[in-house]
Amino acid sequence: MIRKTLVPLAVLALAACATTDPPEREMGAARAMVSQARPVAAQDAPQQLAEAQQKLTRAEAAMQRGHYEHARILAEQAEADAKLAWTVAQNVRVQRSAAEVQDGTRALREEMERKGR
Amino acid sequence: MRFNPKLTVLASLVACACATISPQANQQLEEARAAYRAAAADPAVQASAAAELKSAQDALQDAERMAEKGEPSELIEHNAYLAEQRSRIALRTADIRRSEASIAAAGEERRRLQLEAREREAAAAREQAQQAQMQAQQSELARKEAESRASQLENARIETEKQSTARAELGAELKRLESELADMRAKQTDRGWILTLKNELLFDAGGATLKPGAQRALDNLAQFLTKYPDRDIAIEGFTDSTGTKELNQQLSEKRAWSVKAALVARGIQSTRIDARGYGPSFPVASNETPTGRQLNRRVEIVIDPSSASGGSSRK
Repeated sequence: MIRKTLVPLAVLALAACATTDPPEREMGAARAMVSQARPVAAQDAPQQLAEAQQKLTRAEAAMQRGHYEHARILAEQAEADAKLAWTVAQNVRVQRSAAEVQDGTRALREEMERKGR
Repeated sequence: MRFNPKLTVLASLVACACATISPQANQQLEEARAAYRAAAADPAVQASAAAELKSAQDALQDAERMAEKGEPSELIEHNAYLAEQRSRIALRTADIRRSEASIAAAGEERRRLQLEAREREAAAAREQAQQAQMQAQQSELARKEAESRASQLENARIETEKQSTARAELGAELKRLESELADMRAKQTDRGWILTLKNELLFDAGGATLKPGAQRALDNLAQFLTKYPDRDIAIEGFTDSTGTKELNQQLSEKRAWSVKAALVARGIQSTRIDARGYGPSFPVASNETPTGRQLNRRVEIVIDPSSASGGSSRK
C-alpha cells in the first residue's frame, strides 16, 4: 500500500519545481512560432527550423503520453528554436535586400559621377 | 524488495536536492553565459532587442539559481539552453535592425541622388533653353540689322534716284528756259547750273533800270524759282573793261540788285537770292573785240549755289 502511494510521490518530488498541469500555453506558443517560422526559414534557416520542428513533434508525443513536464521543456525549446530560425532567416533576407539597395544606389551614384564629369 | 520504499523516496529527494550538476548542464550553462555576454555587450542589442535580451537574462538567472540550489540538471540545462537561444535571437534581431537602417539610409541616399539628378537635368534644360533663347535673340538682332541695312541701302538708292531725277528735271527745265529766250544760255558747270543773260536784254547801256523787254525773261525766271522753292540762287553782275573799274563795279552791283528786286517783286523770297557785282572781273571772253566785250557784259544766275561743289561765291 505504502509503496503504491509513495512511487508517484517520488515522481512528483523529481518534478518538484514544475507544474503537473498539461503545458497548453507553452504548446500553443511553440506551435504558433513554428508555423510562423516555417515559410520564412525553410529556405534560409533550414537547420534551425528542423530542430524546432523535431522538438515540437516530441513535445506533442510527450503530451500524448501525459509527460507534461517533458512536454513543457520541449515546447519551450521548440519555440525558442523556431524563433531563432525565423530571426536568422529574416536577417538573411534583410541583408540581401540591403545589399541590393546599396548596389542600386552605388550604380546610380557611379552613373551620376560619370555624367557629372 | 529488500529496500524500504520509504528510504527509496528519501534517497530520491536527497538526490534531487544535492545532485551535482551534470557535465552537459554545466557546459550548456557556460555556453549560455558566453552567448548572453556577447549579446549584452552589443549596444545595438540594448537599443533594438531589449525585450529579447531581458528574457535571455531571466532564463540565465533561473539556470544560475537552480544550479546554486542544486536543482535537477535537466532543468538547469533547459533554462541555460533557452538563455543561449534567446541571446542569439537578440543578436540576430539587432543585425536585422542594422540592415533595415542601412536599407533606409540607402533608400534615402537614392532619393537624394535622384533628386540631384533631376535638379541637374532641370538645370541643363534651363541652360539649354537660355542658350536657345540667346541664339534666337542674336539671330533676330542680326536679321533686324540686315533688314535695316537693306532698307538704308534702299533709301539711299531711292534718294540718289530722286536726286538724279530732280537734277535731270532741273536741267530740262533750264534748257526749256534757254530755248524760250534767245539771249539766255543755260550751262552746267562745276558750280552747278548757270544761266547767263546778256546785259543788252535787260538794261540800256550804262543804266541799271530794267527794260520792258526784260519782263519776259524775269517772268520765266520767277516761274522757275516758284517751281523749285528749295533752290536758292546767286545773281552776279559783270561788265566789260571799258571805263573805270569803280564805275563798272557799282554798275554791276546795281544791275544784280535790280534783277533781285524784280524777282522779289514777283513773289520770290529775298532770302533765297544773293545779289553781287563783280565789275569787269571774271571775263568770259576777250575785251579786245566788240563781240568779246558783248559777251562779258552779262548777268549770271547761279542755281543752287550752296549745293554746288564750288561753294556759293566766286573764288
